[in-house]
Amino acid sequence: MGNPIPVKKTKRDYGIQILYILQRLAIIVAIALAFLPVSNPGRISDLLPKNRSLVASATSYSKLVEKCQLAFRMKYINESVFVILFIGCLVALVGVIALIAGGCMSVGNTKVKKRGNWFSLAGSVVLLAGIVVIYKSYLDMETCASPEDVQPILARGIFIFSFVGLLILCLTVALQLLLMKKECEEKMEIESKYKLFLMFLPFLALCFVFSYLPLWGWRYAFFDYRSGDVLSMDKFVGFKWFTYMFQNAATRRDIARVMKNTLAMSGLGIATSWVAMAFAIFLSEIKNSAFRRFVQVFTTIPNFISWVLVYAIAFAIFSTDGFINSMTGNNFDYLASTSHLWLKMLAWGMWKGLGWSAIIYIAGISGIDQQLYEAATVDGAGRFQKMLHITVPGLSSTFFVLLLMSIAGILSNGMDQYLVFSNAQTKDALQVLDLYVYNIGIGSQDALIPFSTVVSMTKSVISVVLLFVANGASKLLRGESIM
Amino acid sequence: MAKTKQEKLDDKAEKQYNKTHKKQYKYSVGDIVFYIFNYAFFTIFTVSCIFPFYYLFINTISDNAMVIRGAITFVPHGIHLQNYIKLFSGNNDLFQAFKITVLRTVLGTALMVLSTAFVGYIVTKREMWHRTLWYRLMLITMYFNAGLVPAFMNMSMLGLTNTFAAYIIPTIVVPYNIILVKTYIESIPAELEESAQMDGAGYMKVFFSIVLPLCKPILATITIFGAVGHWNSFTDSLMYMRNAPDLHTLQHKLYTWLNTTSNLGAIADGGGGSSVSDVASNLKINKYTISMITIIPILCVYPFMQRYFEKGIMLGAVKG
Repeated sequence: MGNPIPVKKTKRDYGIQILYILQRLAIIVAIALAFLPVSNPGRISDLLPKNRSLVASATSYSKLVEKCQLAFRMKYINESVFVILFIGCLVALVGVIALIAGGCMSVGNTKVKKRGNWFSLAGSVVLLAGIVVIYKSYLDMETCASPEDVQPILARGIFIFSFVGLLILCLTVALQLLLMKKECEEKMEIESKYKLFLMFLPFLALCFVFSYLPLWGWRYAFFDYRSGDVLSMDKFVGFKWFTYMFQNAATRRDIARVMKNTLAMSGLGIATSWVAMAFAIFLSEIKNSAFRRFVQVFTTIPNFISWVLVYAIAFAIFSTDGFINSMTGNNFDYLASTSHLWLKMLAWGMWKGLGWSAIIYIAGISGIDQQLYEAATVDGAGRFQKMLHITVPGLSSTFFVLLLMSIAGILSNGMDQYLVFSNAQTKDALQVLDLYVYNIGIGSQDALIPFSTVVSMTKSVISVVLLFVANGASKLLRGESIM
Repeated sequence: MAKTKQEKLDDKAEKQYNKTHKKQYKYSVGDIVFYIFNYAFFTIFTVSCIFPFYYLFINTISDNAMVIRGAITFVPHGIHLQNYIKLFSGNNDLFQAFKITVLRTVLGTALMVLSTAFVGYIVTKREMWHRTLWYRLMLITMYFNAGLVPAFMNMSMLGLTNTFAAYIIPTIVVPYNIILVKTYIESIPAELEESAQMDGAGYMKVFFSIVLPLCKPILATITIFGAVGHWNSFTDSLMYMRNAPDLHTLQHKLYTWLNTTSNLGAIADGGGGSSVSDVASNLKINKYTISMITIIPILCVYPFMQRYFEKGIMLGAVKG
């Protein structure tokens, strides 16, 4: 292979570089637009679902025409128009995929670059062809039997995509012309640093789509949005939903109750977090290793069943004709009683998690130097003195980290447990923040999407701040970060 | 192998020593009280962890009339499997839910494990373009989330709601698992990879023929956790499959059943009973049986996988 001879970059090279950056940006924009409902070129009729992107409309025909069945039956329009539309979307999507390939190949050597440009070229042409097909079905719609029932719209996406497609086409042609004079290498090769990046890219994209893209949904907090609508600037309401939290008396009461539940539940959890450590310490006092093993194996089982199953077990034991009632001959529904509800929830949490949380401490205990115990015995220390002065200090570091983490997560109790245990009697006392967000945002018929987004947002921000505080505290006290 | 004379003597001496020392050690009254309490506590707690499962189980296999009277508490009577057979052959969607759950568990876990291994391998390569930046961007997502409703809106924007893909795709990249795998791969001697690269193997080849086989222990751990997570997952079915009852998971079905207070569920199920009281009583037994169907796979897998579970939490502790 030999060392590459350093070549002085000419003006042409810089031009190519800049054009490539533009081309890649344009391709990224095209990909992003394909995922956004706003820029869907396929939404050319009011009958089509509003909240679908190009990708979504090109992947499922049945969902695309969900609401058009009536129009087909009444012969407002020939179904073939929609088939053409679907084909157009599909073709456009294929174009976008070819663009992705072309964009990825643009990081290779000249030979790969040239090959990649063909992909980009084909991709942009196919994309434009798809748009033309979509436009044709739009024209068909305008001239169909009864346009007023189909309500054709000239989708914004058609213009956006034609523009982006043309841009990429021009850039690619220019690049190919510029590259024409460059000599090709014999083999197609991509530098390993880019090759690794390209291999990593799909996963990064997944991570982006499912973790970062939802942040884009925070914009709903500033709009008057009902599910099924399309966001538009005339529905912009600024901070209305933020002040709604405090201005509306009923909501204020709700929030106060929810916060009380949340903090009580988390507080109880934090206040009893030492129990797992105690569990581990006392378990390690048992000298019979078979029994110890037995306890350890069976107390961790409940951790691996879902909260629904925990509720199923609660149902079997505590319901009106469950175990307890058949033993005592009563007919009392423990699951509907509201007394000591927080403590009961704590008890279920412990039943599920105690054995599991103890494992980490059990491992910690086996890591403590045995000589310490021997020395203490020689000095005449009793069992509890050894626990208190050797074992507990030995585990305190682990305990501290877990405590800080649970303080950082004070607002996140998760909704599963409280959702499954909720019933008509208990739902008020069990509604924690996560469940509240679910109930107002998704669970109810008349969902308050903007308001629940506001609550989610506030919660996320507070959680992140708490995490940083906890981390800072850890650094300050232990000189070590918890992340 | 035969022991030498000296070793035999040593053994003897050691036994003698142990004997005398054991005799010397006497339990004080305090010790005895402590042990009694300690053993009692752990026995009670362990029994409380096992008994509910046992109770559920004997109630699904015992004589139905007795179960309804509440006569089955500790010992099963009149063992039969009709309840299970009826539920699976009955005219209900339980089998569909079971199929969906198994499918998502197998597919979702397989995809997650493979991609986690691959990503974990790639991020160990220092020559990657801006490796730390991308890796950190991925890890940060562990510490924040946009919230329930934005996530839901995102899924519906992507057109994933009411599709099977919504179970699988979002769980492919799990940053925590990636950390575990990456740490593990870094502990493998680098020479193994280097020698393969000398022989001209590319990244893919090295990954499949060297890294993947060596990572088996850690992959077993994340497989178990992933599979249990998929099996138990309930909120995603509840949130994203609102208009697709065919795609509801077993947990979701169980939740619906447990909340059925009327007898409609039992009637629709065609549980075989003809009289009204028979149908009414079937509800309770059906609830128990579905619970059992949902629990059994976990209970079956658990004993074999217990050590992997523990390994998982220890690895997490090292990083956490």
